[in-house]
Amino acid sequence: MSVPGWLYDGSSAVRREVEVRSAAGGGLDIHFADGSADHVPREALCHMETRRDGDVYGRSDLPGWRLGLAGTAEEIEGLLPRRQKYGRWIDRAGLVPSILIALAISAAVLFGANRLPILLAPYVPASWEKKFGDALVGDFGGRFCTGAAGQAALRKLARELSPDADRLNIRVVHVPMVNAAALPGGNIVIFDKLLAEASGPDAVAGVLAHEMGHVQERHVTQAMIREFGVSALISVLGGTAGSGIDTLDSLHYSRGAEAQADGDAIVTLRRAGISPAPTADFFHRLADQEKIFGRADAALGYVSTHPLTADREARFRAGAVKGAAYKPSLSAEEWAALAGICRDGH
Amino acid sequence: MNDMQGVTVPAEAEPESAFAFEGSWREYLPIALTNLLLIVVTLGIYRFWAKARERRYLWSRTRFIDDTLEWTGTGKEMFIGFVVVMLVLGPLFFGLRLLVEALTIRGQGGAVALVALVSYGIFFYLIGIAQFRAIRYRLSRSFWHGIRGGSSDGGWSYGYQYLWKTIAGGLVLGLLIPWKMASLWNDRWNKMSFGQHPIEAGASWEGLMGRWLLIYLVPVAGLILSVVAGGMLFAAASVGSGGSPAAVMGAVFVAVIGFYLLFLIASLSYYAAYYRQMVEATSWGGLDFVFTARTRDWLKLIFGSIGLIIVTLGVGFLFVGYRNWSFAVRHLEATGEIDLDTLLQSQTAAPREAEGFADAFDIGAF
Repeated sequence: MSVPGWLYDGSSAVRREVEVRSAAGGGLDIHFADGSADHVPREALCHMETRRDGDVYGRSDLPGWRLGLAGTAEEIEGLLPRRQKYGRWIDRAGLVPSILIALAISAAVLFGANRLPILLAPYVPASWEKKFGDALVGDFGGRFCTGAAGQAALRKLARELSPDADRLNIRVVHVPMVNAAALPGGNIVIFDKLLAEASGPDAVAGVLAHEMGHVQERHVTQAMIREFGVSALISVLGGTAGSGIDTLDSLHYSRGAEAQADGDAIVTLRRAGISPAPTADFFHRLADQEKIFGRADAALGYVSTHPLTADREARFRAGAVKGAAYKPSLSAEEWAALAGICRDGH
Repeated sequence: MNDMQGVTVPAEAEPESAFAFEGSWREYLPIALTNLLLIVVTLGIYRFWAKARERRYLWSRTRFIDDTLEWTGTGKEMFIGFVVVMLVLGPLFFGLRLLVEALTIRGQGGAVALVALVSYGIFFYLIGIAQFRAIRYRLSRSFWHGIRGGSSDGGWSYGYQYLWKTIAGGLVLGLLIPWKMASLWNDRWNKMSFGQHPIEAGASWEGLMGRWLLIYLVPVAGLILSVVAGGMLFAAASVGSGGSPAAVMGAVFVAVIGFYLLFLIASLSYYAAYYRQMVEATSWGGLDFVFTARTRDWLKLIFGSIGLIIVTLGVGFLFVGYRNWSFAVRHLEATGEIDLDTLLQSQTAAPREAEGFADAFDIGAF
């Protein structure tokens, strides 16, 4: 029995009519009209495409070689390779099982992508992060405030809060916003308008303790890893390398991380003997302002990077122990120097 | 058996064209839907295989003279091409981004501008190479009568041509852009071949200037129109017969839509003329090509796609690629004769990499 077909040999464009038979030792025998014949081993055959009038097969060893078989070619069906449709793996497993497997893998990947930064962060050497952070922050465009007495007061406040404070680079920057941020490499910046909005040193201590909490818990490192991962993922999904990253703007932390930093801050304040109540008052005032000006108000940057919830305020409020002997975190002179840190020299 | 095989393209007067698209949306719908489903459940990774499936279908339903085309590119090679490009470009983009950020924080405006300028130069060079390689890849994976196309050029010199001609074309208010486009068309297509025959392009930019200048006229016309409309509204308001805020808003809305519409029509009229002129100046192995799409055909294509997407509540976007391909094939014609006996396999090296670069920059090939 033979099946009619046509053939391109892959070296010339001439189309030849052929008869195809199953070969005695396996594979196909192809007989041409002029009496000549050719043999194709079974393993060299691959399915190329399905046309309206039949299937087209190729040879993995001869690019351009094409054998077209009209209809079903039942006589040699068993000798022909499987038709490809969705791609090799999916064809093998079937469409529905493939979709289910893909869904499971995708869910695992998304879950892993969410957990991975937290798992990896402890393994990023502090020295790398320090170098990266310093390279990124530099001198903040010359916006660091340089008042010597103010810097001394800030250092004292930081030491009250943490014995490791000297490893951090805590600076006030001259940017007209109410905000504070923990940046890579132990850099913490307080924007000078926050000093004006805070009623006293204790609220600044609360805000600073919160940012120190982010550094302590390595949230900054996690956010860096997440940013890098997200931008890589976006470029895979979207296909454009242009969709990059905004390292500084997008150092947002998850709600869980914020709550963790708050918890650390309250413990830190308690250990230092500083009342958390002024911080709660500060949050309350900011929340009031947010109601008036809206979250988008650029001057209220703190609100957009640290979403204020009644919960946060209540936690700091509850952190205050009734009748405890709290001391002011800075003396009146020291606070005056800190509040005016940007006045002299900048 | 060894009769001479040659096929003559039907003369232009006959209704049948050398190119025909024989696909149907009913056949394509299951392909499009399963592609979409698989892209979603694989977080987008399947899109390379989806592209290969889409092309395999579109090519197989495209008849050229006596046989259909065949697409042999695979999703796997496109995926690998993409990964390789991301490994090269990802760190480059990331590094440049960090550099610019660090310099910005430090207030080094001059250095930022310099870095940006150099980056743009590199990117234009790479975009040129990407465009060249995308065409080369597509030709090398397109078979007809068992014969494929390709190029023995790597596109490096084209990247350089693309860079300097883009800069030169942008000078003098962009008046030289038609020259740049025609010149680059010749630069890239003259390096391509199909079978052993080179593709030859000798397009000139003469005759394109009128329609190009028309695009510049749109803002001027818009300004005049808005002044006239404003005057009429003002007059109507002072007479007291109208000029309610709603009417003013309506007039502004109509004016803005009208402006964009005019701009679109002017641009399409240029592109229609550009493609007709470029294709007409391109030939291969004794065949001359004609592209018949006029401005109104382009308008029908674009508004047809937009309408389809709206009517189908978005599902129609699956058919945009299908519609574009069928549009191109339906308007492409060829005249002359090709001798199949002497059409031999391409001796160009088939590139291993796919169109990862073009994919990365999100640009088309043609």
